[in-house]
Parts: sequence; C-alpha cells; structure tokens
Amino acid sequence: MKIDNSLPLEYSTEENRLKILGFWIFLGAEIALFATLFATYFTLVDRTANGPVGGDIFEVTPVLIETILLLTSSFTIGLGINAMRHGSKNAMMIFFIITLALGAGFLGTEIYEFKHYVHIGAGLQVSAFTSILLTLLGTHGAHVTLGLFWGTFIVLQVKKRGLTPETTNKAFIYSLYWHFLDVVWIFIFSFVYLKGMM
Amino acid sequence: MNMKQLFPRGHVMGFIFSMVLTAVALGVVVYELSFKTGMIVLLVTAFMQAGVQLVMFMHAGESEDKKAIYTNVYYALFIALVTIFGTLLTMIWGYQ
Amino acid sequence: MDYFDRFAVPHSSPMIVGSQIAIAVTVLAILVGVTYFKKWGYLWREWFTTVDHKRIGIMYILAALLMLFRGGADALLMRAQTAIPDNGLLDGQHYNEIFTTHGVVMILFMAMPFIIGLMNIVTPLQIGARDVAFPRLNAVSFWLFFWGAMLFNISFVVGGSPDAGWTAYFPLASVEFSESVGMNYYAIAIQIAGIGTLMTGINFIVTILKMRAPGMTLMKMPMFTWSILITNLIIVFAFPVLTVALALMTMDRMFGTNFFTMANGGSDMLWANLFWIWGHPEVYIVILPAFGIYSEIISTFARRNLYGYKSMVVSMVAISVLSFVVWAHHFFTMGHGAMVNGIFSVTTMAIAVPTGIKIFNWLFTLWRGKIEFTVPMLYSLAFIPIFTIGGVTGVMLAMASADYQYHNTMFLVAHFHYVLIPGTVFSVLAGFTYWWPKIFNFQLSERIGKWAFWFIVVGFNVTFFPMFITGLDGQARRMYTYSESTGYGPLNMLSFVGALGLLLGFAFLVYNIYWSTRYAPRNVSSDPWNARSLEWATHSPVPEYNFAIVPEVDSSQAFWDSKNNGPALFKGKYKEIHMPNNSGVPFILGIIFFVWGFAMVFSMWIFAIIATLGIFACMAHRSFEKDHGHHITVEEIEETEKKLRGANA
Repeated sequence: MKIDNSLPLEYSTEENRLKILGFWIFLGAEIALFATLFATYFTLVDRTANGPVGGDIFEVTPVLIETILLLTSSFTIGLGINAMRHGSKNAMMIFFIITLALGAGFLGTEIYEFKHYVHIGAGLQVSAFTSILLTLLGTHGAHVTLGLFWGTFIVLQVKKRGLTPETTNKAFIYSLYWHFLDVVWIFIFSFVYLKGMM
Repeated sequence: MNMKQLFPRGHVMGFIFSMVLTAVALGVVVYELSFKTGMIVLLVTAFMQAGVQLVMFMHAGESEDKKAIYTNVYYALFIALVTIFGTLLTMIWGYQ
Repeated sequence: MDYFDRFAVPHSSPMIVGSQIAIAVTVLAILVGVTYFKKWGYLWREWFTTVDHKRIGIMYILAALLMLFRGGADALLMRAQTAIPDNGLLDGQHYNEIFTTHGVVMILFMAMPFIIGLMNIVTPLQIGARDVAFPRLNAVSFWLFFWGAMLFNISFVVGGSPDAGWTAYFPLASVEFSESVGMNYYAIAIQIAGIGTLMTGINFIVTILKMRAPGMTLMKMPMFTWSILITNLIIVFAFPVLTVALALMTMDRMFGTNFFTMANGGSDMLWANLFWIWGHPEVYIVILPAFGIYSEIISTFARRNLYGYKSMVVSMVAISVLSFVVWAHHFFTMGHGAMVNGIFSVTTMAIAVPTGIKIFNWLFTLWRGKIEFTVPMLYSLAFIPIFTIGGVTGVMLAMASADYQYHNTMFLVAHFHYVLIPGTVFSVLAGFTYWWPKIFNFQLSERIGKWAFWFIVVGFNVTFFPMFITGLDGQARRMYTYSESTGYGPLNMLSFVGALGLLLGFAFLVYNIYWSTRYAPRNVSSDPWNARSLEWATHSPVPEYNFAIVPEVDSSQAFWDSKNNGPALFKGKYKEIHMPNNSGVPFILGIIFFVWGFAMVFSMWIFAIIATLGIFACMAHRSFEKDHGHHITVEEIEETEKKLRGANA
C-alpha cells in the first residue's frame, strides 16, 4: 500500500481517495432521494382531507431544540475531524462522542414529536399530508439512527486501532454523512416547519 | 492541542453563522411575514446554510477531485430542482 | 394450514401448475446435479465469492439471458393470445399478469443486467485498470440484482404475479384493485435490485474518473467508456426517485398510508409522475450503452476512426441532461393545460437533435470505410435504419396534441419496441458476439450467427411493424382480446408469425453458443477483429490482473496506433500487483435480502425483522473487518504471462 505523507491520513492512499469520491457521489444520490420526498411533500401538503394542516400541529419549541442539537453536532463533528488531522486521538474521540450524544438527543426529541403527532390525531394513515410528513421526517430520522450506530462503530475502531489510514478515512466519510444530514434537516426545518407555521 | 487548534476560527465562524441564519429563518414565523417574503427569506437562508456546511465543514474543495465533487453536487442540485419544480408544474400549477 | 394458503396462486391455471412443477423439478435437478458432480466447492470459490469484474460480468450476462427467455415466453404468449380474435388461450387476468412481467423482466432484469454485464467486463479493460474501484461492492450489486430478480420471478408460482402493468399505475396497483401479493413482489423485488444498480452506478463513475491508464484524459477515452460514464451518472440520479416511489407504494399497500389512494387526499397521478421521473432517464440508461457499443463496432469494422468524437461526447452529455426534463410526455393525456404539455413537447423533440447527430456520425464513419460484414457489424448496420423509424415515430408521439390519438394504442407499443429492440437488444447481441472471444478465447460461429441475425431482424419487423397500423386503426394496448368485426385479426396474426421468427432467431443464438463451445477453433489471436481499444491489448482469456504492466496511452485508439507503428503501450517491468480478496458476504447478503423481501411480500413481520437484523449484521461485519487484499508476486506474473503467451503464440 502506497502512503502519501503529504496528504492528511484519510486521503493518504489511493483506495482512500476512491472511497471519499465514491461517497460524495452517493451523497449526490441522496440529494435526489430527498428531493423526491420533498417534491411529494409539496404536492400533498394541502391534501389534508379530514386531518389537520401543518399549522395545527407544528410546535416551535421541539423543532427548535432539534435544530440546535443537530447544528451543534455538525459543528462538533467538524471539530472532531480537525482534531483528527492534528493527530489527537483523544480529542477526536471526545468530539465524536459529543456528536453522537447530540444526535441521540435529536432522535429522542423526534420520537417524542412523533408520539405527540399520533396522540393528537395526525398519525401516518390520516391523510396524504400526514403520510408524507411522517415519511419525510422518518426517512431523515432513520438516516440519523443509522448514523448513530455507524458513528459508534467508528469510535470503537479508533479506540482499538488508533488513527490509521483506514480509521481516519472511515471517520472522515462518516463526517460527510453527518454534515449532509444536517443540510437535509435545514431544508426540513425551513420548508416543512417554518413554511407550515407561516 | 491548545484551544486555538481545538477550535479553529473557520469552524467557529461557520457555527456562529449557521446559528444566526437559523435565527433569521425563525424570524419568518415570529414577525409573521407575508408568504412571498417569507419564502424568499427561507430560500436564501436555507441555501446559505447548505453552502456553509458544504464549504466550511465538508471541505468540498480540498482534494484533487474538487472538480468532480462540485460537478456532482451541481448536477444533483439540478436534478433536485427539476424534480421538485417539475413535479409542482405537472401536479399543481399545470392545471388552469 | 391456513398459514400456507397465502402462498397459493389466486388465479391458477394448468399453465401455472405446469410451471410450478417445472420450476420445482429444475431447482431440484440443479441442486442434485451440483451435489452429484461435487461442484459446490468450485462454484463457491470461483463464482459465488468472486470480486473479479470479468466473472461478475459473465454472471450478469448469464442471468440476463435467462431472463430474456422468461420475458420472451411472456411475449410469445401475448402474441399467441391476440393472434386471432376472441381467443381463449389466456383469460384477462392472466394476460394482465403476463404483459406486466414481460415489461418488468425485459427492462429491469434483461436489458439492464445485460448492459451492466458488458460494462463490467469491458470498462476496466478499456481504461487499462486492474478492477473496478470497489470490487466488493460490485459483488454486492450483482447479488442484490440476482436475488431481486429471483424474488420477482417466483411471483407467478408463489402467491400470484403482479398485474398492473410494468408502469404499475395507481389505482390499479392499490390493494383495492390488485388484492394478491403480486404488486408487493413488484415493489420489493425491484427495490432490492434497484439498490444494487445504484451501487453499480457509483462504482463505475469512480472507476472511470479515477482509474484510467496514465495519459488517458477524459477526451481520449473510448466511446463505449464515455457512454458508460454518462449512463452511470443517470443511474445515480434517477434510481433514488424509483427507490422513493417504490417505498411509498409499499407503504400504501402494507401500512395504509395515503400517497396514491383515491381517498383521504391521496393523488394517484403522483405515482405516474414519480415513476416517469425515473422511467424516462431509465430509457436512456438502456440506450446510451448501446450507442457506445455501436460506436466501437462500427469504427472497428469500417476500419476508420470514429467520426465526430467530440460531438458524440457533447451529444451524450446533452442527452443526460435532457433525459431528466421530458418525463411528462408519458402522460400528456392526464389533463394538464397547454403550457405544461407544450413545455414537455418541446424538450422531448429537442432530444431528437443530439440523437440525430449521433446517427450522422455513424454514417460518416461508415462513409468510404472498408466495411467488413461480421455479425456484430450486421446488427450495427441494421440498427441505424430501424432505430431511426423508432426515433421518428417518437417525434410524432412527442406532439402533445397528436398524442391524444396515439396514446395507449399499439402504435406506442410499436414505437418503443422499434427503439428498444434495435437500440438495446441488437446492441447487446452485437456486443456479446464482439467481446465473446476476449472472454472465452474462441469466436462464435459467424455462419450460425448470421442465421440468427436474419431471423431476428426480419422477425422483429414482421412482429412490430403491423402494430403501427393497428394502432392507428385504434387497437388499444394491453387488451387481452378483440372481436372479429374490428378487422385487427390478420395483422395480429402476422405479428404472431413474426414472433415465431424471433423465437427461431433466438434458438439459433443458443445453438450457436452450444456449437461454438464444442467445435469452434481455439487459440484465436487476442485481437481477432483487428480492433482499436485497450481491451484487445491484453491476453484472451484475460488474466486475473488484466494487464501485467499498466498501459500508457496517448490517443482515443491507443491500441490501433501502437499496432500501426505508434508508441508502445507497455513500458517498464513487472511489478508486484495488489488485488482484492474474494468474499462470501455479498452472496450471503443477497440471500438475506431475498428472505427479507419474501417476508415483506407476505407481511410476515417476524421473519422480516430477523432478516433486517441479518442485513445490519453484514454491514457491521464489513465495518469491523480488516481486509487488505493480496499481492501477486513478480514471479507469479511472469509464469502466468509465459503460459498465456504460449497459448496465443
């Protein structure tokens, strides 16, 4: 394996560079996936039948908590990668663990929010609007859930194997994923919640 | 590592910027703007947020594949806009 | 026993019972045969666990050929049923099921894997690479496709076939109108195969962008590689739309959501919209590689450089963008205003421009060439006029106001078969014949190949040309029968006769494979066609590592140049080669996906949850696994090269 020492560890081998580009292209596909969900959402948003409209059920507080948690986690994982590039394994792990904790906080709030929706009569089957609302949020939430497991695996591997070309590559790719989820959330926050409450 | 290395300026600025943008977006609801102005504000803040993440946090332009990555992102953005606005056109706006 | 009732076929008939028995017997025979001849170890080591792009390509093509005959059987049954008025061979329900599976199988499980198989074999060789960017992922792609296809194919013997058309329009595809599990199979099986296809897309984009031989800039890539790059770009951005659409369909059918329902605000036409946002780019996913294959073959057998290389590339890039902005032409009659139909009419017609440019480029390549009429070349030459008919009728259909007349008639059926058969089917047959000697080191018989060619080309035209006429006379597609007074009888009979001709053509194709495998002369040269691109610069059959020395390139037909006193391709000495390890996990993952899909289709949640955990277990295993591949030493390379050179001396 040829290691190029002029580059950060995560870019240091050809295989690593392939993986990073591959993941960027995967994120392109993810953009298309969420765009389709948004297209469906905008089509069905006014088709509420006998169910509630967005303005009836959205609440600012939990949404704002979710947003702040996720934005902060995006910041901390960025710091984690920065620490990783400085070769500080401990700082990197601490930042990653903080990120995962914030992500778990986000997920917890979202689960509470879902239970609340079902409780007030905005369950999955009520109308086209509630179906796509919960599916859009749920798809993002499922991504976050997967990300929590993935992130935990990476922390475990870094702890055991240290900062190697492989582990740093995984951590960097994971950070791309996490930032991307943050971007998706921004659009949900803006065009689902805020637009709905306007 | 000292504090300056742990919290580099670019990242901190990016974070502050994203918080400010969130607050501005929230203003749409707090100040009860008209739908049109509100949507413009949301579009601007959302895309700026995405830009912050992409450039400041995800380092989209740092590697030798910069061109491929940006082409990919722009293509994806094109597809996303076509899918969303095309769907709105065929499903909602297209009926007189 | 109530539990097992769900697996029964609701609309059983002697034909289906016969298939059930035949499938059971075949599966048993394969299992017993493999055990008896003690081939399990061989299959496992050499095929099930392989990550070699050439072997994966061969498996794709084998599966595609199998599916060709499955889809072909459906087609023959349809033509037989409509051959005479008021025919009772099939009832309405059975006919619905057959045209549905014919469409799905031919597009998703025949055309796509055939193309993906060829691109697996050829692309890395054409760019001088040792494998694809992610060999392990490539195996995952294949096994997801394969087990997805198998899941779809058992539908007609276990639980019932899908019956709402390959487009699966709502409300027909909803639980109310399609009560059997058939449409569940559709939603789940295509989903599984689609995930595999998406991964292929990512894999090949990275391969082509990052693994080209030194000196091969983008504008020096062979045209086939260009077409594959563009195809995969479309795959990556179109398939997520299908993923979402199928997931929403699954939720509507299984969890009572209201996306496409008629009540509670659902919108049935939203399905059509999402389906075609994916569906139209899909058409270009199966047609662009064909353009690439023809470009290679035409320039090889006209003995001329491809005319208008740059305009070919520009056209394909233009097509990749345009393919995403035309989808509404599939439902002009849905009731939009003039503005929407106008926009989509114009974008649709615009696609004819880059496509037309390509046709002219091929013609100019042929102009004053020394044309050699081999089987691959015959298919390419037949493609040009026949495809043009398909294209021109496409422009007719693109006119929204005229489309009200053609919509949902046999005219449309004729049109898209005139596009897809000369486009995709001829091209994969041509490519298959063209690259066969590279893979197996002997050529398919030209004589038998020409018989197959003439039966297929004539049979095709006899089958589908009459449909233009009956369509204009008003015969609707997907109608299982018609009365004599309509006057459609004679032309439909002609179609059936043509279909029999096609059957004979494909029988010749199979016989050719059998005959050539037994009798064709071995040890042909590694460049039997006197071709132009890098895949012909290495040995046949290709060694595991493709090229002992990585070639250096300075033109779009580097191999041709180097044969004609140009610079040498291979400079320097052998070096140790790093190769990926085989792995059984992709195969196992495929099986788990199959189990998951089957459990989902029949709403057996416990099994579905267990299988889901199995899928995550495979992913976690991959995350923690340490796999650095293996190295082929210089001595081993020397030995292999000596052996291969001996074989081709």
